[in-house]
Amino acid sequence: MKIKSKMLMIALVAALSTGSIAVSAYDGTKCKAKGNCWEAKPGYPKKVKGSKYDPKHSKAELEKQTASMIAQESRNKERAENFKKTGKWVY
Amino acid sequence: MTSAVRHRSSFFVFLAPLVLSLFSLNISANDKLVKMAEDDRNWVMQCKNYDCNHYSKMTQVNNANVKRLRPSWSFSTGLLHGHEGSPLVIDGMMYIHSPFPNNTYAINLNEPGVIVWEHKPKQDPAARAVACCDLVNRGLAYWPGDDKLPPMIVKSQLDGKVVVLNAKTGAVHWEVENGDISVGQTETAAPYVIKNMVIQGSSGAELGVRGYVTAYDIHSGEMVWRWYATGPDKEIGLHKSFNKENPHYGQKGLGLATWEDDAWKIGGGTNWGWYAYDPDVDMFYYGSGNPAPWNETMRPGDNKWTMTIWGRDADTGLAKFGYQKTPHDEWDYAGVNVMMLSEQKDKKGKMRKLLTHPDRNGIIYTLDRETGDLVSADKLDETANWVKKVDLKSGLPIRDPEYNTRMDHRSKEVCPSAMGFHNQGVDSYDPNKELFYLGINHLCMDWEPFMLPYRAGQFFVGANVWSYPGPKGDRQKGIGSGQVKAYNAISGKYKWEKMEKFAVWGGTMATAGNLVFYGTLDGFIKARHSDTGELLWKFKLPSGAIGHPMTYMHKGKQYVGINYGVGGWPAVGLVFDLHDPSAGLGAVGAFKELAKHTQMGGGFIAFSLNGEGPYDDISLGEYEM
Repeated sequence: MKIKSKMLMIALVAALSTGSIAVSAYDGTKCKAKGNCWEAKPGYPKKVKGSKYDPKHSKAELEKQTASMIAQESRNKERAENFKKTGKWVY
Repeated sequence: MTSAVRHRSSFFVFLAPLVLSLFSLNISANDKLVKMAEDDRNWVMQCKNYDCNHYSKMTQVNNANVKRLRPSWSFSTGLLHGHEGSPLVIDGMMYIHSPFPNNTYAINLNEPGVIVWEHKPKQDPAARAVACCDLVNRGLAYWPGDDKLPPMIVKSQLDGKVVVLNAKTGAVHWEVENGDISVGQTETAAPYVIKNMVIQGSSGAELGVRGYVTAYDIHSGEMVWRWYATGPDKEIGLHKSFNKENPHYGQKGLGLATWEDDAWKIGGGTNWGWYAYDPDVDMFYYGSGNPAPWNETMRPGDNKWTMTIWGRDADTGLAKFGYQKTPHDEWDYAGVNVMMLSEQKDKKGKMRKLLTHPDRNGIIYTLDRETGDLVSADKLDETANWVKKVDLKSGLPIRDPEYNTRMDHRSKEVCPSAMGFHNQGVDSYDPNKELFYLGINHLCMDWEPFMLPYRAGQFFVGANVWSYPGPKGDRQKGIGSGQVKAYNAISGKYKWEKMEKFAVWGGTMATAGNLVFYGTLDGFIKARHSDTGELLWKFKLPSGAIGHPMTYMHKGKQYVGINYGVGGWPAVGLVFDLHDPSAGLGAVGAFKELAKHTQMGGGFIAFSLNGEGPYDDISLGEYEM
């Protein structure tokens, strides 16, 4: 019995020192809801905002794609409308 | 008569005939393409047909005589860089595309030494700087015409444009902006034609581009619908019955709920791969790609709906089902690969409409394409180690935490590598043998993330990667990074498998002549016996091949053709003269030997038995007094 506990203790210390217990937590099968199964890895934040892993994106940069898509769609619409009216495609 | 009834009856009187005529025109366009695809004289889509089975029933070239295949004629595009995709052949005309600057050529097969027309767009050279992985393009699409409009060739350009050309003259019918290089959006995917619509994907997830799929009206150039991979449901385009059959895949609100704050706006999920379409159920299928950035620590959540097999209604584009293969991707296993449709009996003997998809993540999935039900999910190679298995009931991959990635940690010996066990190659399915022929990469990697802020139009990757041949290859020599396999999706068994020196990047083509063809990065086109895998024939091309083979009949002769021109992601080291093994998103080290075997330069070669062809008549094309 004593030997068994000692071996268990050694295994536990070894696992903790390599971090394998902590890391092994995330296997993607523990779902909060259907289709929502992500978990933070132990030692890593659930939210990156305000953490040491916060990428601190600029709000203005994040909006640029959306603005570009709206502008592209608008220009394409004008081209198609002109095509309908004139029969000529002008880019 | 009440006003409501009056209103309804006037609808039937005035609008119903219009709707019906539009409907019949739509049916007509699909029917024409289906019929043309069955004709051996045509190669009307990149994947050969709507099933995307890349299978020809021709037998003139077969296992008994394939050793007599010789070059018949060839065409140089005059361009360096990777030549992905394959030409189209319609009614005796071949349409050849090229990488950037995305030139297009029409060639009469009666005299391939004469260019009938060409389309050479002037593009902003800055497009080159935002191309992820060389300057590739995956080919053209064809629309068969109707009583209002002649047949059209459809192309995409690296600068984001989609252009429709008169198939006879090359004149531009319309051109639209489907991307903006200033925010990193490019186009490398081949367009796709369903009914009277041009469907176009998107590229640029390595620059944080939020993926989108768009349909344009072939007649007017008007946008019919556009749906995104991430964000609010109303922008993703979910049908009211979305995932009704498989609610455990997730249903509403997850395009926002599985992201932190606004990360979905720069979250990737671009779809630069291939499509399949089932006219009977009127649904089309494709995959969305990797979330952005590659650094997983920066984007908590399952990151829906990146990495998803989509089944969407063709008319509205609304999604009937979506199955996310790699939730919260940590390895860049972009899910855009080929979708092949088949009708097979499942293990219980029930005939089913199936969709089979060899994914970058090292799993080959088969789904019921009407419901999205997961039928099988087998490893493409037993060395895939990030995942223990896919639970068929929940659809979830059971990850092996030993191979996960995270900040402040270098993950080692992860298989597959970011380049996947399968990438953009178009594979094939022989419906008689019920076998899929798979061109496979055998690559693993080390991976170390780093932090970076998003800047629109700049690379947004956040990981250093070192790829190398997998355990079955020779890592010291840098070879043994490819395989070809024959797979049965019902039994889950591989009938045969063969190692290749380098990744089989371009995919395979199967024929009823008991043959499977494919190109290799070091510049061979090869034919194997499709029953046994025995190597029967090969020919050294002028440069490495990353496109897929095709075949067509012309004047009673069967030709087998392939694009050559090394490049694409595996050859970025060769193309841009890079030497740091982690450069080229980890490809340089994996393919360090490639430059000893081949160099750049692209074009197309047609082969036939004994090399017979149009120039057997030596007077053809000669100067005449």
